[in-house]
Amino acid sequence: MAMSTRVSKDDILRPMRRTSTEYYYVLAAASVAIAIFAVAYIIQLQHGLIVTGLADWGSGGGVTWGLYIGAFIWWVGIAHGGIILSAAVRLIGLDRYKPVARLAELLTIGALTVAGLYIIVHMGRPDRVVTSIIPAFPWTVHTSPLVWDVTVITLYFVMTATYLALTIRYDVSRMREDLPDRFDPLYGLLLIGYSEREDEVIERMVWWLALAIIILAPLLLHGGVIPWLFALLPSMPGWFGAIQGPQFLTIALTSAIGGVIITAAIFRRVYGWEHIITDDVFKGLTMWLGLFVLLFVWLQLQQIIGGVYAAPVDQAAATEAKLSHPVYWTAIGLVLLALGYVFAQGVRPSIFSIERSLAASVAVLVGTLLEKIFFVVEGLLYPSFSLYDAAPGDYFPTWIEMASVTGTIAIVVVFFALVAKVIPVVELHAIEELQEGGK
Amino acid sequence: MSADLPLQYDFSEDEERMRGILDETEYDTELGVALAKDAQKLIAGELSEAEFAARHHEAIIEEFETDERPLEALADGDLEEVDDDTDRKGLKDALSGFDPDDEQSRREVLKKSGAVAGVLSLGAWGTAESMAGGDDEEESGVAAADEDEEGRQMGMVIDLERCDGCIGCVDACREENNWSSGANWMYVLAYEDEGRDDEDFLIRPCQHCTNAPCDKVCPVNARHTREEDGLVLTDYDICIGCRYCQVACPYGVNYFQWGDPGEGMEAMSDEHRYDDRGRHVDGVPLKGTMGKCTFCPTRQDDPETRGSVACMEACDAMGMGAIHFGDLNDPESRPNQYLEERRAEVRTNGPHTDEDGVSPHSSTEEDDISTFKLLEDKGTDPNVIYIGNEPGPNAQQVDGPVSYEGRVGADRRKDVLDEGADAEANGNHESTTGVTRGDGHEH
Repeated sequence: MAMSTRVSKDDILRPMRRTSTEYYYVLAAASVAIAIFAVAYIIQLQHGLIVTGLADWGSGGGVTWGLYIGAFIWWVGIAHGGIILSAAVRLIGLDRYKPVARLAELLTIGALTVAGLYIIVHMGRPDRVVTSIIPAFPWTVHTSPLVWDVTVITLYFVMTATYLALTIRYDVSRMREDLPDRFDPLYGLLLIGYSEREDEVIERMVWWLALAIIILAPLLLHGGVIPWLFALLPSMPGWFGAIQGPQFLTIALTSAIGGVIITAAIFRRVYGWEHIITDDVFKGLTMWLGLFVLLFVWLQLQQIIGGVYAAPVDQAAATEAKLSHPVYWTAIGLVLLALGYVFAQGVRPSIFSIERSLAASVAVLVGTLLEKIFFVVEGLLYPSFSLYDAAPGDYFPTWIEMASVTGTIAIVVVFFALVAKVIPVVELHAIEELQEGGK
Repeated sequence: MSADLPLQYDFSEDEERMRGILDETEYDTELGVALAKDAQKLIAGELSEAEFAARHHEAIIEEFETDERPLEALADGDLEEVDDDTDRKGLKDALSGFDPDDEQSRREVLKKSGAVAGVLSLGAWGTAESMAGGDDEEESGVAAADEDEEGRQMGMVIDLERCDGCIGCVDACREENNWSSGANWMYVLAYEDEGRDDEDFLIRPCQHCTNAPCDKVCPVNARHTREEDGLVLTDYDICIGCRYCQVACPYGVNYFQWGDPGEGMEAMSDEHRYDDRGRHVDGVPLKGTMGKCTFCPTRQDDPETRGSVACMEACDAMGMGAIHFGDLNDPESRPNQYLEERRAEVRTNGPHTDEDGVSPHSSTEEDDISTFKLLEDKGTDPNVIYIGNEPGPNAQQVDGPVSYEGRVGADRRKDVLDEGADAEANGNHESTTGVTRGDGHEH
């Protein structure tokens, strides 16, 4: 391992020491996107949800859930990968991915935050979020899938944040002198009560947390409460049924791996971390991407075959509509393109390149976002009770809704840009291991 | 009346079937048949209570180890002394209280009867009853007693055969509740279906389901079922506008309040908007909350106006009488009475009863009249019962005789919404200008 001999602590301190002009360009661009989102949201607050393309299904024509909910699911899906990957690293010793583990954890925090934001943005009366939800919680938590969602996402957020806070103490304690002085109070806070004797205990705690996350995330979050929002409603044939659990999970993992690849590729490029986040890491991640895409597409196939062969009238109509819609094929096409690349580079390794993996990841993220929005919208457009002349209606998001997508992406970009200036985004453990490997 | 039947019932005709039933019990078939025959004689007055008691006492003791028939002679003790001249007071009491029309007395006897009487002699009786179609006594008499404890369940019987699609009900609903243009809480669909030449109508209020999906999924309990009368309502002061109720409802009856209700709400008094629990559940919703047909809850609070709804009044005023609202748990209520009338009507004039002049055995009365509940297979337990044709899976809505445009606002809410926020402000009751339709729906 020729490259790893050059690895040093200085490498992971680089983001905190060097700030390029491009960094400010990125921040500025992201700020513009966030500002547009903010303006859009203020307009929405003033006029109400009428400024969206949403409507009432039934005699009204249209859909009552659209881009906001689709994007919400998409972000929760991306949030998945991060922490699952990181937990897997710790739990089953996937040490190869240790250099991207913290980036993945941060992606989880960022993505979950904007997913939570979407819940607020989607509400007709956001002013009541506390006064209405909290008093009813003890009762509604038994009955409402939406409350299950909020509960599990909160739990997931707390677990991930705890996980990150615990693992970061080791790094900060050992690098404190090298970290920027102006954040000293923050480091002091992060290190409250720290002693080297706790390392072993923390390691065990984090292991258990990782175990909990590995169990909770797939079974309860994206394989559970998120699909149950839809899969438990018999009135919408495009949604109802047991397949949505596994289907949502595969889509989530697909987009999550895509998100990790993009984040890692950007950091590697910007900070010259080719020797830390090696090609090997990307090759591995690309294979995982391919596996999850394969599962995603396979479960789509199940639904299509079931929906066209001898399906009930309502389900047949929903499937037919899905298969005849360009958005669906755009989404599936993008995902299949990525799958084609993964196969090709598996057969002929020379086809692999970071840029191509990056492109495949972007394709997958665009594809999954389209698929998620399409899933929500199509489900509502094709209800079982299709007697209404206005059903299926139509839906096209307004700029106000679209601004939320670029706005939330920008929020996550800014989040990474700022966090990288404060804490090491690559674990010291990863560096230490690379150093040991090199010696 | 089926109630007279036990006396007229010729046991011998059905003895074979009876034996079959008795054979399935662990008890002596012959004894059962003998007991049943004698019970018939007892009731017909051919046999005295004492004789009846004496006749089978030993056999019963042998078979069941105890004789628990509800007969005074048994309690008197010495059966040997019983003869025809014995004071018949006990029997008279038993028989005078034995008016077969009176469910109470029969239930009394049933209750007092032990295993023997229940399984054997009265078992034969029960069979005779059900043969004669006496089941409705179970439904009306016994059920009514139980339902008094259940409280009210408001609902509708809607006779689609009487609807002519005038949408007067929709108009009246809007007049009453001031909902925004296109938020058709009450909606009448004209539709065509395969195999039927004429267009049919479906009147679609909220179904006020007993097992309401919207109620279940609400994250804040704003959508709830009012305990006193089963109305499914939205508390506009709690609703957060997540719209999950609309997503979960199989009927598409929910309409979000996208814009400010403005004058529409100001025009309504507090008494009209807040029900007797002090919750804001009636009339047009607040901006950003969900609305739908309410079954006029503040009318139901007042015993004077209870059982009235705006749509029904309008329908009656038009002379149509298609909508019948009331307490479905009360057999005397308007919807139940109407259902009874229509059934009676069909029994008299309908095709089933006088077909070939023979009615082999009329099964259930429900068969005589075509009723249905909308999407009953979704398990929502709706409280609207329809009389008439049920739309099939391929039915398609068509233009009705009266347009929604202008009079009640708009048919398609999305057209109004697409006009944008400014359109919403004047999308209230008076103004319907600027509403355009994108399809061939104009009249």
